[in-house]
Amino acid sequence: MNYYVLPGIGIHGGIKVGFQFAQLLSEAGAPIAVATPGGLAPSWFRCGQPVVDRQNILANAGPSDTLVFSLPHDYPMLKATGARLIFHCQGTDPLIDPVLHDRDVTILSCWEQAARYARTVAGREAIDVGISIPDIFFYDGAAKDPCLVAFMPRRGATIAERAMKHVRHLRYVPIDNDTEEVCAATMKRSGFFLATAVGEWFGLPALEAMAAGCVVVSVPVVAMEHLRDGDTACVVEPARLPTVLDDISGEGAGLRRAALRDRGAAMASRYRTALHRRKLESAMRAGLKDALSWN
Amino acid sequence: MELSVVIPSYGLTALLRTCVLHVQSGLAGALPGRTAIVVVDNGSAMPYQADDLATPDVRILRLDRRHSFAAACNRGASAVPAARYLFLNNDVFLHPNAMAEMLEIARHETVGILGTRLVLPDNTIQHCGVRFDAGERGPYHHAHGRPSSSVSRATTFPQAVTGAALMIDHGTFAALRGFDETFPFGYEDVDLCLRARQMGVRIGCGQKWDSLHLESTSDRRPDRHKASRRLFFERWRGRYSIDGDEGA
Repeated sequence: MNYYVLPGIGIHGGIKVGFQFAQLLSEAGAPIAVATPGGLAPSWFRCGQPVVDRQNILANAGPSDTLVFSLPHDYPMLKATGARLIFHCQGTDPLIDPVLHDRDVTILSCWEQAARYARTVAGREAIDVGISIPDIFFYDGAAKDPCLVAFMPRRGATIAERAMKHVRHLRYVPIDNDTEEVCAATMKRSGFFLATAVGEWFGLPALEAMAAGCVVVSVPVVAMEHLRDGDTACVVEPARLPTVLDDISGEGAGLRRAALRDRGAAMASRYRTALHRRKLESAMRAGLKDALSWN
Repeated sequence: MELSVVIPSYGLTALLRTCVLHVQSGLAGALPGRTAIVVVDNGSAMPYQADDLATPDVRILRLDRRHSFAAACNRGASAVPAARYLFLNNDVFLHPNAMAEMLEIARHETVGILGTRLVLPDNTIQHCGVRFDAGERGPYHHAHGRPSSSVSRATTFPQAVTGAALMIDHGTFAALRGFDETFPFGYEDVDLCLRARQMGVRIGCGQKWDSLHLESTSDRRPDRHKASRRLFFERWRGRYSIDGDEGA
């Protein structure tokens, strides 16, 4: 049996990405459940994955099982079970280095920068399994308010506050502790999205906002796979974000805004779940299938 | 034995007879031979007689007092072990091709539990898979009340299917120790599916054929249903994933 072991079910991108990956594995026929504390399921996004108690799995998993994980802190505990391990690399903090050096652990990468990191640090070729945006985020023609700016205050609130003070012709709507449905609906009716989380590994919310038809103004992230300054988004250092937002929201910037929206939407479409499913098929052929348990 | 069809039933002999005739018609097309039909007489006031069912090929397992749906199903499965079981309500009239479709899905997909589309007499959906909503709503029948013709015919893989027509392989059923008999009436099917999924078992639901379900013709005792619902939520609240609102 396969278990995707997670540390919690709170509102964090890594939790959703873990469930999403487990769901795709399940659709591919792999027997898999998600192990969470207390066997609790998240209620802030949609999925259909079964959940089991993490503690129970840690106590009972053995060599016939495969444990998938993304948090390096879990590595010693999971290693001690004797189960086969798969590391679903969602970030490249040096804390993951011991995991990458363990040749018994299969390494999966969600994006190119993570694959490069595994290659550089440990000489390992990660299996590319990709990442995707739930279909609910894709713009469906909902009425948009071109002066509405969505942002997530949980990380980078001060950056957003500076923008609010500096750019007063726009209105701001926080997305905070909301379900995925509310988040998607807010993005779909907003003209802009401010991505203010400094040090983000991938920047999934910015990509979701591109899918929702927002002009994205973002601080840099580590992966920088979908954030291309002047092409799919405005990528700026935090200090300059208010100025750039003021500029791109100005009367004379209509064509630039339309171009950013179009190219952002095109970029987001590369992260459709249907494409992700196909990528996973390739990953299965590239070794993922052998790393999973099929009992 | 390849397939045992287990039909728990209480009274309503004419209804049961029609149900059995539909099963026989389906079995003839799907699995000629190596099958059994077991009617679990769940303490009917007038015990069923072989003649009542107008066919000699049905085994009647008499329980002298009324048990829960779960217990009746478990007794029926124990009586005639088979590679697969199809648990069926006596108010379900299977489409002749429905069983063949379920077996076909089981052959080609890695699924251990199967359901099939059920419609109400007005041809609206009664069941085509169970979805889960947040809060008090919990599990519910997807697309319930919508015209069957407006709902996709593609096979689905929901989190649960109804026990009104539920096929399961012997290995999975044995590993789960059958239906949980502490459920008085209702939700034992969803509980079974959720427990199976925790073991990695996938659930499938055939959608090609409409079988008729008269829904709760045989049991209209809300007290038992409420007790089952309470038990279900005590056990599962917060422990199933949320599919979200249908159509959203």
